[in-house]
Amino acid sequence: MNLRLEEVRLVLGAFTLELDLTLERAVTGIFGPSGSGKTSLLDLIAGLRKPTAGRLQLDDDLLADAKSRTHLRARRRRIGYVPQDLALFPHLNVRANLGYGYRAPLTDDHAHFSLDHVAEVMEIEPLLERDVLALSGGEQQRVALARAVLSQPRLLLLDEPMSSLDSKLKRRLIPFLHRIRGEFHIPLIYVTHDAAELVALCDEVTVLDHGKLVERCAPEKLLTDV
Amino acid sequence: MDHSQKVDVKTKVLLLLPFFLGASLSAEELTVHAAASLTDAMKEIAAVYEKESGDKLQLNLGASSMLARQIEEGAPADVFLSADEAKMDALEKKGLLVAGTRRSLLSNTLVIIVPANAKLLPERAADLAKPEFKRLALAETQTVPAGIYARESLQRLGLWEKLKDRVVPTENVRATLAAVESGNVDAGIVYRTDALMAKKAKVAAEIPAADTPKISYPLAVLQSSREPERARKLADYLASPPAQKIFAKFGFLPAN
Amino acid sequence: MSAETWQIVFFTIKVSLLGTLLILPLGVAVAWLLALREWKGKALLETAVMLPLFVPPVATGLILLMLFGRNGAFGSALDRIGIDVVFTWRAVVLASAVMAFPLLVRTAQAAFQEVNPRFADIARTLGASEWRVFATISLPLAFRGVVVGAVLAFARAMGEFGATAIVAGMIPGKTMTISLAIYQNIQLGQDAAALPLLLISIAIVFLTVLCGQMLLPRKGRR
Repeated sequence: MNLRLEEVRLVLGAFTLELDLTLERAVTGIFGPSGSGKTSLLDLIAGLRKPTAGRLQLDDDLLADAKSRTHLRARRRRIGYVPQDLALFPHLNVRANLGYGYRAPLTDDHAHFSLDHVAEVMEIEPLLERDVLALSGGEQQRVALARAVLSQPRLLLLDEPMSSLDSKLKRRLIPFLHRIRGEFHIPLIYVTHDAAELVALCDEVTVLDHGKLVERCAPEKLLTDV
Repeated sequence: MDHSQKVDVKTKVLLLLPFFLGASLSAEELTVHAAASLTDAMKEIAAVYEKESGDKLQLNLGASSMLARQIEEGAPADVFLSADEAKMDALEKKGLLVAGTRRSLLSNTLVIIVPANAKLLPERAADLAKPEFKRLALAETQTVPAGIYARESLQRLGLWEKLKDRVVPTENVRATLAAVESGNVDAGIVYRTDALMAKKAKVAAEIPAADTPKISYPLAVLQSSREPERARKLADYLASPPAQKIFAKFGFLPAN
Repeated sequence: MSAETWQIVFFTIKVSLLGTLLILPLGVAVAWLLALREWKGKALLETAVMLPLFVPPVATGLILLMLFGRNGAFGSALDRIGIDVVFTWRAVVLASAVMAFPLLVRTAQAAFQEVNPRFADIARTLGASEWRVFATISLPLAFRGVVVGAVLAFARAMGEFGATAIVAGMIPGKTMTISLAIYQNIQLGQDAAALPLLLISIAIVFLTVLCGQMLLPRKGRR
């Protein structure tokens, strides 16, 4: 996958997000303190916000171009999104949530995107008929991930997926994220302010501060810097 | 010894000030409650009267039933010109009229009107029973004089039972005229004097006097008047030849 | 309580229900549109919708009379196919519908805005069209508030007077609603006769609004 942000600007309240970079790795981490624009960046990529200036391109598709006022709607981008608050639909049970974005497998290669298989991989089969609000934090996380995976995205955005979990649960969740990468081959963009998570998962880290790129490095570098 | 000589110029001016406040003390404002059908005639008479007497006339025009009710509730008014005797009777019974000032002033006739572009014209009241006349506008038939006269006429002609379900009641006779002019009803019954003022409605037929009850417009000075002398003067003027001539110009008949 | 009084009460309930049902689809759709984040022309639509709340009801009645009278823009077309509006029960429904519309939209809009916009956003990333987002996410989550909006609209329709008087007249047995009947009784000096109607209308509206209040979502997200 090749995600290109060309002189992209997004005016936020206190500052402006300004980025010009290309992301190509299987798992890219976005690191930065709270309020550095990480969530807004994900919103931009997902198509939930329009850039004030610049172009976004994913592989061969033009996602947005401020100059020509082009904007590919979120529903057409096939970019999955697991937001910080998970946004599990409270009025639907687990199965209905999972199936919400489900698309029939495009080819035989995608046969493993069936609801049963994904539920098995994410170990949420026993929960399928449950009410989402009755699940534990970790279970909700896995359901949210599974829901996004089932829409067969070509890129998956994760906004602080583990911020509400304790370290034990965090360790439990990491293998699932590896499985998303290994079994379903979906590139991830992973936002967090926890350096340890980045080390466990990411191939590369992009550091943001006040909307600007501060550096790009290997995750290990962050541990030593801190 | 003479306190008055101690009164200075300033005080003298202040004492005389009221007399300098224009000619307002020598002219009064009189409130006249008059039936809606008298609208145009009263406006013209008022203009003439104001010039001649110096008194200003405040016209309150509407259905006689509504006006009578307002007088009963204590609305300040000097003279009442009603479109039927019943409303005046009600006030007289309650002692709201100045004795000796009541008299019958005018009369009128009823006509059937239709929208100006109507194709079908009723030649007489009985034609209204035809199915083409789906909606008939009348002033409210229990209380407004024009509506009462119309209903009683239709009752005399044996047409009321047939027509009463087609009636669209209006608040006063001018509203009846407006309803017909808008084209939203098929016909209406108003005074001939109203029909003469119509722009988008035309007279289809007159209801013969023999078929209508006696139409009388009584006039009286009200007890609530603050200026009974001037009110009497106005009442006398309305009965005098110059005023009667103006009423006749608008199509009113003299009192019968 | 005479037969005539009951007829007036049932007639008023019938036309109010009909008027409310009539505006539900459009009202909910408009409310959802107005609850979306900014879009071009939104302020214009919002103002247009709110107009019947601020324009004097009789003025609204006059506008309806001009549009739906036999010589009006809509009235003449309807007249050609044999449908009469003014001075019939249809005009009563029309007046109630127009006057209740802003209330429905306002309440439903607030209900939609209470729903966390993230739900709709995520639904979009999962490939849902705007219609699907509305039908499967926004409406179910805002449902209670929308119902309250409908209830308030019904109450408003029950009490409608000014516009109805102008465009429907006060024809006994045909367009006489509770409010119009009370007014007419006052006009005729029969204040006492208006009393049962007065009490019934207060009772109905009180119960209706009470139900609405009880349905209101409690504070805090679902």
